[in-house]
Amino acid sequence: MFEIHRQTPLISTEADSIKIKILGLGGAGCNALDRILLDGLEYAEAVAVNTDVQALTASVAPRKIQIGRSTTHGLGTGGDPELGLASAHEGEGELASELEGTGLVFLCTGLGGGTGSGAAPMIASLAREHGALVIAFATLPFAFEGRRRATQAQESLDALRAAADIVVCFENDRMGETVSPQAGIHQAFAASDATISQSVRAVSELFKRPGIMRIGFDDLSRVLGGRHARCIFGHGESDSDNRANEAVARALKSPLMDRGRLLEEADSVLVNVVGGPGMTLNEVQILMEELNRHVGEHTQLFFGTAVDPKVGNRMSVTIISSLVAGEAAAAPVARVPEVKPKRVAAAKPRVEKVHLPPAPVVEPELVEAIAEAEIAPHEPSPFFEMPEVPEAEIVTEPAALEEPLLVPGPVAELVEASHVAQSLEPEPLFVAEEPEPEPVVEAVEEIAPEPEPIPAAEAPVLPPRPTRSFPRHTRSAPEPQLPMDIPQTKSPQQESLPFEPVSRGRFEKSEPTIVDGQDLDVPTFMRRNVRLK
Amino acid sequence: MAREHILVGLEIGTSKICVVVGESKDDGTLKILGVGEAPSRGVRKGEIVDFDTAQKCVHEALADAEEKSDVEIKGVYVGITGAHISSFNNRGTVLVPEDQEEINEEDCRSVQLSAREVSLPSQNAFIHSILQHYYVDGQDGVLNPVGMLGHKLEADYHIIHGISTRIKNTVRCVREIGLDVEDVVFNPFATAQAVLDQSHKDLGALVIDMGGGTTDYIVYVDGAVKHSGVLAVGGDHISNDLTAALRIPLARSEKLKVEEGSVIVGECVPGEMVVLKGDAGFAGKQVERETLNTIIHLRVRELFELLARRLDEQHCLEFLGAGVFITGGCSQLKGIKDLAEEIFGMPVHTTRAQSLSGVTSAFENPQFSTAIGLVRYAQADQIGRPSGLFAKLKRGLRIFGMF
Repeated sequence: MFEIHRQTPLISTEADSIKIKILGLGGAGCNALDRILLDGLEYAEAVAVNTDVQALTASVAPRKIQIGRSTTHGLGTGGDPELGLASAHEGEGELASELEGTGLVFLCTGLGGGTGSGAAPMIASLAREHGALVIAFATLPFAFEGRRRATQAQESLDALRAAADIVVCFENDRMGETVSPQAGIHQAFAASDATISQSVRAVSELFKRPGIMRIGFDDLSRVLGGRHARCIFGHGESDSDNRANEAVARALKSPLMDRGRLLEEADSVLVNVVGGPGMTLNEVQILMEELNRHVGEHTQLFFGTAVDPKVGNRMSVTIISSLVAGEAAAAPVARVPEVKPKRVAAAKPRVEKVHLPPAPVVEPELVEAIAEAEIAPHEPSPFFEMPEVPEAEIVTEPAALEEPLLVPGPVAELVEASHVAQSLEPEPLFVAEEPEPEPVVEAVEEIAPEPEPIPAAEAPVLPPRPTRSFPRHTRSAPEPQLPMDIPQTKSPQQESLPFEPVSRGRFEKSEPTIVDGQDLDVPTFMRRNVRLK
Repeated sequence: MAREHILVGLEIGTSKICVVVGESKDDGTLKILGVGEAPSRGVRKGEIVDFDTAQKCVHEALADAEEKSDVEIKGVYVGITGAHISSFNNRGTVLVPEDQEEINEEDCRSVQLSAREVSLPSQNAFIHSILQHYYVDGQDGVLNPVGMLGHKLEADYHIIHGISTRIKNTVRCVREIGLDVEDVVFNPFATAQAVLDQSHKDLGALVIDMGGGTTDYIVYVDGAVKHSGVLAVGGDHISNDLTAALRIPLARSEKLKVEEGSVIVGECVPGEMVVLKGDAGFAGKQVERETLNTIIHLRVRELFELLARRLDEQHCLEFLGAGVFITGGCSQLKGIKDLAEEIFGMPVHTTRAQSLSGVTSAFENPQFSTAIGLVRYAQADQIGRPSGLFAKLKRGLRIFGMF
């Protein structure tokens, strides 16, 4: 808890200075932008960019940029990405001056057409050249829009992925699913615009709102970074008595959520909870408990919370995640083969090895892994508190705990066992003489500093904050699974509130009785922390 | 004996289902012919969660009641509760037409309709709109405006509403057994009819019905309902607390609560133990009495404090001349009267259904207050109703129309 207090002011001042712009590019992008503006936007400036003058005039955005004046003569691109790209080049000067000094750019666009598909990658890289972080929100066309558009969209998406820092990709087909079959087509498009609007707003608020537990760009890029095929996004708000439950239920009902079923497959999930000053720990607890039901065993949770007096009585939950394209692609990074004895403190060589192969994907993780390693020794791990454990176990256990934090696996065999053996061997004897937990901690400390010299080369712009690892709490006691859990989930990052598994006993299956933010089904003596004899 | 005078109240409670068969005498008194009950399953916090199981239990209770009272039950008044039910006060206004001098019954009906013209949440339906007071041209304290001269008729109504699908579930549960549902009554409103007499209502009284799954309450001020509501916390919660704290089976904590439980703390001999005998699958246990009482005390105190705060917000507490009446199964907890007096700061009576004749064992038990209240409500309801086939048809339509 202390670390958080120390950090909060530092980071929020930094975030306050970041200038955020939202660019709506092309017809679909401008529609989404209009929707965002109509829903209300606090933290960013909106800029509409289009080739089609007519569409541009119709937009409600305060700033408008027409690109390709001489290329398209104020008409659209007619679905030709080449024209879109040419137009973007033509408008480069204007765009560049617009992007000057912007810290963060949200680029909303619909892929599959001309302007969006052609210009988006170029604008994304332009923005990056100007030092901005680029988060692109791209919609893929409906299936009924034809194969040609789909291919165009896919090509452009690949280019955009290379150009932007993060691409959040929405499939219109999925978003249309929530619209009833009888509804008009405009409703289907409106539904997708609404979803984009919500997610842009949620993400921008994520950065701008002063948080008690902040979620930063690094967390976001971990969750959405690179290889994902489909973005899962859910946002829910409620201001009723039972707002925690309702907000989660609404978030899970969001079109891209598939009622939370998709969450089970995701390997990391970002959750941000925003509430007024009246938000209680208990509510957050209820909310996360509810959410944990939908999240898979090995999913890594990034949890952030912010208190904003402006939201008043409401409580809002944002869930962001992505599904990995093919399990195979992610597998070598995520899974660690169990080679127990050789694992022993393989810290340094392994990290270097991993650096090379799946480079763009691993980087953020790597940096965090290092941060993790630095912190780990200070963490009161359950293993360090067992003085009576036989020596052999003491040696392997901290190592087993340590090792997975430094992530990926096949390299585990490459350990120079000798070095490790030297540093560790004397310790057990020491322990045997003096059964105190300290010596073991020392042993770990010796291992941990090793990865430090590795440069955190292309780290995300916001420096990774020192964080502590925590196991994702399941409803039952999580302890025994600890060593098993970590290798599969990668190192968790943000500190969690102490979620105690609270039994509701007989009322497990009934609607909770929430009065003044307290779950009355939980025994009174537990809520009031009365010690019984 | 005229069968029309048979009135049946059915309460589907969280811990038990109970059916009271009463006979309305011509002199206005009520005689209890028999009480049927069955343990309830499939009900949580006053609402049906397992339809089939609950239906079986209702059937059992009805069969029991028919046997004991020797009456064939055709129609019942059903009590409902649940956290979804809430209430508010609203005033309706009508202007008496220029050419009409006296206020007539038609005006009274339209003022009720106008009081109901409020926006409920879309899934909610009216359960009751209970008349509080009439005002004729701003003059208050009018009990019956029919025949009075005036231009503007106003009326305050206490409106109780709940989620219609949940109410329908209860109605359907009874209908499918083959019984008519004469009316649906909000539990505390019925309870008040059983435990309060007119003088209490006039003085101002709070009735707290502490049942198994919910605690229902209603406030009478100046003879009219001023506030009512449900808190979905009841005896079940106490048992559940005991289970969680002492790690004993739920059935044992229920028994422990009933037999040994008290809300008084600090008066036990230190180290006094309550012995739980062993049983199949239960090794037996000793529990310190002080611990037991502390758990119960904390829960009940919290419940009362919540209630007191809610009522204080509604400015009800200062008008309770007759004090607080606690009834329902949980009111049998030892020491509850003292605790309530401490929190509400006024005289508290643990009470049960009043002034009846018939099976005394029935109305001496506070667990039956609501079911007896339903019969009382029915009696008052029947008097106001025209008899005959046509009226019955109309009544049926009303219940259908309500949902």
